[in-house]
Amino acid sequence: MKDIFVQLEFVTWQSLPVILFCVCFAAVVTIIESSFHMKLVVQNDALVPGFAALLILRELGAVVSALLLTSRVGAGLAAEVGSMKITEQIEALKMLGIDPVRFLVVPRFVACVIGGFLLSLIANLVCLYCAMLVSEAKLSYSSGAFITSMRAFVTFQDLVFACLKGACFGAVIPLVSCYFGFRCKSGAEGVGLATTNSVVVSSVLIIVLDFVLTFLFSHFY
Amino acid sequence: MQQQLALQDVTIDFGDGPLLKNVNLAVAPGESVVLIGPSGLGKSVVLKLFAGLLKPTSGKVLVEGKDLHALPAHEQSALQLRMGMLFQKNALFDSLSVGENIAFPMREKTSLDETEIQRQVDFFLEAVGIAYAAALFPDEISGGMQKRLGIARALALRPQIVFYDDPTAGLDPITSRRIIELIQKLREEQNSTIVTVTNDMARAYQLADRIVMVADGELIITGGKAQTLANKDPRVSQFIRGKLDGPLTGRHA
Repeated sequence: MKDIFVQLEFVTWQSLPVILFCVCFAAVVTIIESSFHMKLVVQNDALVPGFAALLILRELGAVVSALLLTSRVGAGLAAEVGSMKITEQIEALKMLGIDPVRFLVVPRFVACVIGGFLLSLIANLVCLYCAMLVSEAKLSYSSGAFITSMRAFVTFQDLVFACLKGACFGAVIPLVSCYFGFRCKSGAEGVGLATTNSVVVSSVLIIVLDFVLTFLFSHFY
Repeated sequence: MQQQLALQDVTIDFGDGPLLKNVNLAVAPGESVVLIGPSGLGKSVVLKLFAGLLKPTSGKVLVEGKDLHALPAHEQSALQLRMGMLFQKNALFDSLSVGENIAFPMREKTSLDETEIQRQVDFFLEAVGIAYAAALFPDEISGGMQKRLGIARALALRPQIVFYDDPTAGLDPITSRRIIELIQKLREEQNSTIVTVTNDMARAYQLADRIVMVADGELIITGGKAQTLANKDPRVSQFIRGKLDGPLTGRHA
């Protein structure tokens, strides 16, 4: 249990600054680009707040958070487990009668699932708040107008689905990273390869899983 | 002979031809067996077979008369707890301090309270002579100290069977001698069975009741120091004298 909390702190709390920093910029880009293109195509950007909120909640918040989590936590996990493998620490655990999967993977898996859920929730809320500030500053929407427009498009269900996506993406990261870590070949090159493979495969799986989940969730709208 | 460890007709193949072919070896309780032989020909593999870390392609590994790989996982794990191992690269947990490395097996596998665990940690640190380094991390101590720490952690659960994989590799002759004397002292105190891999012949003679050479997929059991020196097998003769010419070709080096 203590391991889970240690990992949860590493996954969630220590990842929060970089994720919030990036989703804020993503929110700025989303609002400005949406406004620009709507003005270009339909000569009107009145739907921008609602459209941007929908985009943030259904895709941007969860996916950007998960991809950042992959590069930060997934790479670290693969390197950590890979280093343990090549320095015989995994075998030392086995000699002590400790199941390496239960000892190394389970706490990280639980922490990443919970962390993915929480990070997606926080990232989406901060992203929406940031979008509101930008639309107020750049597009002259009041906060009230932004919220009204947003509520016309999005529901609480969108936030729940975003968090569920975050949890599912969080599950992918430790499984893939530990898989490559446990199969790490010897030497610095082996650890490097395990790390690279884990980030690439996790990122691809997150994108594919995003499609699958979006398709499944579409049945509930 | 009563056996604590045994390999029975063991073959192991990692996919590019068998590394060991139908080998047999029995180790009696309290015996000290030293494995020697050219690098890469299976000395560490023999240790890992005994320890249950590798599964033979065919044949049996017996520990205290039980077929290790035929046992259910929990019984295999229980048997492994009666063994300790110093790994070739020490396998110290680098995120834990020196003291925590020794405490770790006790915290995970015993019901001892923290006071008793700390007392045991102090005992082992004192026994291997690194009590002053308890708060340091493995990468902050020298190679010799890492070996000592590895030995202390291997012995933390007071195992009956201890495997030492190249305990003097990379150490100066004086530290090597001290490490071997430490291993002998701890063996006498714990009355344990030990299997050691080394290519340092002086240390092998110092430590061994029996010497076994691993070469060409075979285990050549040579006996004690005198029998080993008198052994007629040209591979043994070449290896222990370090001759360049002989049946052990450069590919073994």
